[in-house]
Order: sequence, then C-alpha cells, then structure tokens
Amino acid sequence: MNINLGDNNMVNPVENENKIIPYKMLLQAVSSTQELVERILPESGIPSLRIGLKDIKKVLEKYIEKAREGAPVIGYHFAFPADYLSCFDCVPICLEGTGYFLGTLLLNGIENYYDSMGNWGHPFHTCTAQKGVMGMSLDDLFRFDAIITPTAPCDSTCASYPFFRHHIGVPLIIADLPFLREEKSYKYYAEQIKISLNKLGKTIGQEPQYERLRKGIAIENQVLHTKLELFDLIKSEPSPIENMFNPVSAATSIITSGTQENLHFYEEMLNIAKKRYKNGFHHGREERIRSIWPYMLTFFDISLCEWLDRELGMSILFDIFNYNFFDPIDTSSDLETLFYGMAKKGMSWPMIKQSTDFYYPFIDDCLKMAKEFKADCFIYTQSLACKQFGSIPKILREALMDELGIPTLIIEFDVGDARMTSLKMFKEKISLFAQTLL
Amino acid sequence: MNLGNDPFLKLSNTIINPYITKWQAEGNKVLGHYCTYIPEELLFAAKLLPYRIRSTGHEDTDLGDTYMVRFTCSFVRATLDMALRGMYDFLDGLVICNSCDHSRRMFELFDMKVFNREDFKKEVPRFYLAMPHILTEEGFNWYYEEIKELKNELDQTYSGSSNQISDESLINSIKIYNKNRDMLKKIHELRIQNVPKLNGTEALQISMSNSSIPKNLANKELKRIYEFLKESEGIKTESKRIMLVGSELDNLFFTKIIENSGAIIVSDFLCFGTRYFTDNVDLENSKNPLKSLSKRLYYRLSCPRMMDDHDRRLNFIKEEIRKAKIDGIILQRINNCDLHGCDNMLFVHELKELNIPVINIDREHFQSDTTRLQTRIEAFVEMIK
Repeated sequence: MNINLGDNNMVNPVENENKIIPYKMLLQAVSSTQELVERILPESGIPSLRIGLKDIKKVLEKYIEKAREGAPVIGYHFAFPADYLSCFDCVPICLEGTGYFLGTLLLNGIENYYDSMGNWGHPFHTCTAQKGVMGMSLDDLFRFDAIITPTAPCDSTCASYPFFRHHIGVPLIIADLPFLREEKSYKYYAEQIKISLNKLGKTIGQEPQYERLRKGIAIENQVLHTKLELFDLIKSEPSPIENMFNPVSAATSIITSGTQENLHFYEEMLNIAKKRYKNGFHHGREERIRSIWPYMLTFFDISLCEWLDRELGMSILFDIFNYNFFDPIDTSSDLETLFYGMAKKGMSWPMIKQSTDFYYPFIDDCLKMAKEFKADCFIYTQSLACKQFGSIPKILREALMDELGIPTLIIEFDVGDARMTSLKMFKEKISLFAQTLL
Repeated sequence: MNLGNDPFLKLSNTIINPYITKWQAEGNKVLGHYCTYIPEELLFAAKLLPYRIRSTGHEDTDLGDTYMVRFTCSFVRATLDMALRGMYDFLDGLVICNSCDHSRRMFELFDMKVFNREDFKKEVPRFYLAMPHILTEEGFNWYYEEIKELKNELDQTYSGSSNQISDESLINSIKIYNKNRDMLKKIHELRIQNVPKLNGTEALQISMSNSSIPKNLANKELKRIYEFLKESEGIKTESKRIMLVGSELDNLFFTKIIENSGAIIVSDFLCFGTRYFTDNVDLENSKNPLKSLSKRLYYRLSCPRMMDDHDRRLNFIKEEIRKAKIDGIILQRINNCDLHGCDNMLFVHELKELNIPVINIDREHFQSDTTRLQTRIEAFVEMIK
C-alpha cells in the first residue's frame, strides 16, 4: 500500500516499517509483557514495571508510526541522549537500549544475534550492547539512515561503531568526547555536538529545529528535578522503591528521553515513593540489606531484582544508570549556552562521567553515597566489555572496606549474555555474600 | 657477524640497560610511557629519556591481577605486575595518554599502587595527555593545546621554570628523531626486498632496542646495522612472505612461531614497526616546531584508537602488500583488545576481496597456548599457494 503525501512523494508504510523490524519486535515484547503484568500481578505489584512498560509502549508506537510515515531512522549511542535528537523529525533508535531491552523481554534473549556477529568476526570480548544490533543489521533487520555516537565511554564503542560505516554503509556521525571533565572539555564537546547535529541534519536532509530541541531538553530538566526528589526518598529506610525500578528507569531514560512519557514515569514513581515513605512500606516486606550497585544490573534477566527484594530483602538503592544527575540545561538563552549545557550533561551521563575522569572522584563519590544512602554493601558487576572500568573494582573494594568497613562483592559477567555468568550463579554468589552480612 | 648476536639487538631482551644507567648517572631523567602517540621529541628536548614500557620476557601477571580484572589486556597487566615488583622503579616520571582503556588507567594505578608502595620513597611525577578519537581540525587544535600544556608541565617539573625547552632544542631533537625514523625506514626497505636482509624477529628486536636508549646513540647503532645489512647476502628462502598486523607485540616468541612455520615476516602494521616510523615531522614548512611535532603525531599513520581512520589503515596495508610482495596476512590481537579486534574484523572481510590469504588470531602477550598458535599458523602457511 502506498500513501500519496500530495507532493508526489509516494510513501510505502510497510517498506518503511520494515526498516526497523527489531523495534516492532520490541513493541510486541513490551505489549505482551505489559499484558501479563496487568493480568497477573495485583494492582499494587511492581508499579515501576507496570508504569514503565505503558510509557515505553506509547513511545514505541509513536516512533513506529513515524517510521511508517517515512521519517528518517537515526541510530544513536545511549551516551548521546535521545532528547538531543528532538531537533529533527525522525525515529530515534538507541542501539544499546534496543538490544538489551529486547534481550531482557524475549524468553531466549538475543544470543542468536550475538552469535551471528561473533561468527562474522566480532571478538567475544566486545560489548553485547552493540553486538546485538550489529547482528540484526547484518541480517538486514535494521536499515538506519544515519547513526550518531560520541567517542566514549569505551574502546568497545570506538571499535564497534565503524562496522556500520564500513560494512553496512550507514553514514556514521561521530562527536568527539574528550577526556577529563573540565571547562575546556565542555566547550570542545559543545562544539562537537553542534557540528554533529548539523552534519546529521545534512545527511537526512533536515535543518535542526532548535525550538523543538529546547522543548525536549526542558522536559528532561523536569525529569531531573523529579528524580532528585525521588532519590532523596531512596535515602530513607526502608527504600520506598522496588529494585525493578532500576532497570525500568534505565530503559525509560535511554529510550523515551525527551518525551512526556519519560516525565510521566518519574512523576508516577515519585508519588508512589512518597506514599510508601509515609507508610514505611518495603516492596519485599522487610528490608534487610541495603546494597549499592555502582555498575550495572543483569540486563539479560531482570527477574534478579524481584528475587533480591523478596527472597533476600536486599534493596538495590541504585545502579550506574540511575544515579545520574547533572546541572539543568539553560533552555532560555542563546544556542551556545544551550550546547554548553548539553555538553556538560553529556559528560555527566552514566559511564561517560566515570570514563572521562580519573578514578579518584568515582571512589570519593562511592564513599559519599555509601554514607548518604546508608548502604550495607556494594555489589560490583564487572562486565566483560567494560575495560575502562577493568582496574577499578578491586581498588574500590579496598577503599570501601578501609574507610567505611563496607564489603564489596565483585561478580564478573556479561551484562547482556546469560551464558557467561548465569542468573543461578548470581543468586548463589549473592546468597552466600548476604549470609556474611546478616 | 650474525645479526642475532648483535649487542644492540640484545638490548631488546632487557628492561633496564647500560645506556639508561649511564644516562641517569649523568644526572638525567627517564620517563616511561606506553604509546607511540607520546611526543618523544619534546621529552628528549628537555633532556628526558622517553622509555617505552615493555613486558618483554615477563611471564607473570599475578600481582597485576590483584588490581586488574582478567578481561583486561595481559600486556598491560604484565607491565603493572613488573612495576609492582619494582622492575620499573628506575623511572623518574610517567606520561600516560588515553590510547586505550587498559593503558590509560595506569595513570591511577601507578599512583595508588606502584609509587605508593611502602618501600618506594622516590617522588615520580605523572603527566596525562588527552588525545581526540577522530581526525578533525578541532581535534588537532585540542591536541596541540594538550602538547603545549605538557611542555609547560615538563618545564615546571624538571627545570622549575617555563620555556626551558627552547625552539632550538626542540628542533634539534626533532632532527634526531626524524633521522631515527629515516634509519628505521631504510632498514625496513631492506626487509621488504625480494631477498630480505633481515627477518621479522630481528626487525622487532631492532625496534624494541631503539625504544630503550637515547636516540642520538640509537642512530649510530642503526646506521651500523644498516651498513652491515646492506652488504649482507640476505635471506635466500622459499618461505612465504607474511605481513603481521595488530596489537602491541614486544615478545619474540610469537614472531618466532611464525618464522619457524615456513614463513618470513617481511612487513608489518605494528606500533613497534611501521606505525612508529612511517611519518616524519615536517620542519621545512613551518616556523613552529611544536605545532609541526603535534601535526605529525596527530595525523600520523593511526592505530585503531582513531575511530574514523580505518580506510587509511586499510590503504596502508594494501600498499604494503604490493610493495613487499606479501603472500599472506596474519592479523593478531592480544585477548581483550577491542580496538585491534574490531579493526581486524573489518580487515578480514576487506582483504579477502583482494584474494589474499588472511588469518585472524588472538593471543596473550606472553608465551601461552603455543601449540594452538603453531598449529593454526602452520596450517595457514601451508594453505598459501
């Protein structure tokens, strides 16, 4: 079926939709999971999942509709926040978010795409965050009109993205993200963002609409304000937020950034947290251990979150994707100020913040947070691909023990692939560790 | 004279050597670094000896493993291991750049764990150089500013005042380094001939030795070796001509496995090889030696840390295949090296289009898994027609 847009451009919605087949798969997976949640769980059960899925679904539907209408499909790296793309009429698709979210929701994960990419030569030790969508592109399931990425946070990013340019033939726009969070870096990165957005505009035949950009960013400023309030409540005992909030929040932040749905998710969660705080309610009935995960969760199976709440009474106060704060961006001044704010935020983004700095502030932050959030322990998940963090966990463990007497459990795993360290292994290791704490 | 017994080449088997001892006895300093993106000329102009940190011959990583997880590069872990054992205590400074995620964290680890050991009393200044990951005009300006800052820091740290590194001393240093690269290039030309005058193991030894002593002295040694090689008969062999591409390589066991398998490494794309000496600093077209030096480093034949320069690297390999009459390509990476791993992944597919035999293998920095490597390499060499 072709639709005539009136300017002699014939649009084929099915053909356009087929540019983003994995996104359609994601929508189906989100829809069926949401249906299960609505039908099976009690009304008050895991609200973050219930609300998050609903909001994410709305955004996915909106983007798929846009794709049908022929809007260009822009792949973006999770560290280039989606609200920065709101200056274009496009379908923004986060490579890392799509792969991991699909892997989370599909019963058998997306290991087949990892494997097809591995067979093509992608080294086993590179990041599954990119590997999934690379494998899907190899199978022609994604047809991006352009991809945009910063040069951070890791070697795996710098190494994997050129595949899209050199093998798939997708225009790759790269914003150089410098090392060290300081004034000159913010200015440099601001310029890089500006140049990259202009290049992207030329590639897809659109002028950046900066008023739209300001609106998208203004929404994220509100999200920030809401999240700050929410995190203040998480400091209280028991934590008023269930563990599942963490992976769902990571998904909403990365996939729905810059939309009203993202704001809605955090506002709803804040309301729930306030009520729970008043009642001293804990999702797992009793909070016995307060844990901080300074790195990532098991995205290959997020049921771990629920198990920790209910079986061990272990709260995950936050992971790296959620303790994510920055200065609000000034959206009312000139463009230079706007880009400067975007650069500062971009360099405070999860993983970017830590990889564009030395280890010292990260260790200081962890020590400070351990005290503020009254943590009993840290669980450090060292993912196979994250070499930029490969020499921190053991130093951090020493610092936490020496300074605060807080123990750290280090688990090596692949954040997106259960075959390296299975959920069963996680549960065993954490159970044994928990016994030493109680 | 047998090149294998040459005293200069034998320096490659050692970490500290008599040249360093003499240099320090004369009151001069030695600065360690990991990467060919470090402006060695600038350091040398300040009478600081740039010393490329190696792990040659070191088999252990157990102390290094205490602070680095097993997913990190075994070469970098081995160097940390050596440093924790005091084998790099002779360093008077450390320059780190963000070449890769493994080596860049040595800035903190040396600070917190190596230079902070109870029995270690020396103050060792550290310097950090932040490199862009793409080649643009803005990126060059950034890098040039970084080099200027480094110059000021070196001045302040080692001479207590600014502008001690004069243009004149920098130009002299650049000339010495240009000559050094020219000599390495000339030796390389002897290697790619129909009858190679040296093999890949010897070329690697020359390069490693060259990285460990003052370049003015190295130049004399290189000239001597060049003269010797030029007059030598060369290696008359039916061995297959191999180009070796990929990760850092400072252990001879790997080149020996290849060269004992019926092959000879006549060219390479390594940072202890062509990537080090291919480009020179242009002093003729600029009055600003620091800027010229920065230009050379920034725009030089890149390693895969430069995210948008894959095509140039591929073209270099293609050109070298033609010039050195290469029969087959061995792509290799140290396990966990994402940068070379992915660059090699693309090369495999791109080079196959040229109908040249290609093998892509992973290894550790130290001698391990030898039988597997040997079997694969022998099978590959046999396969080459």
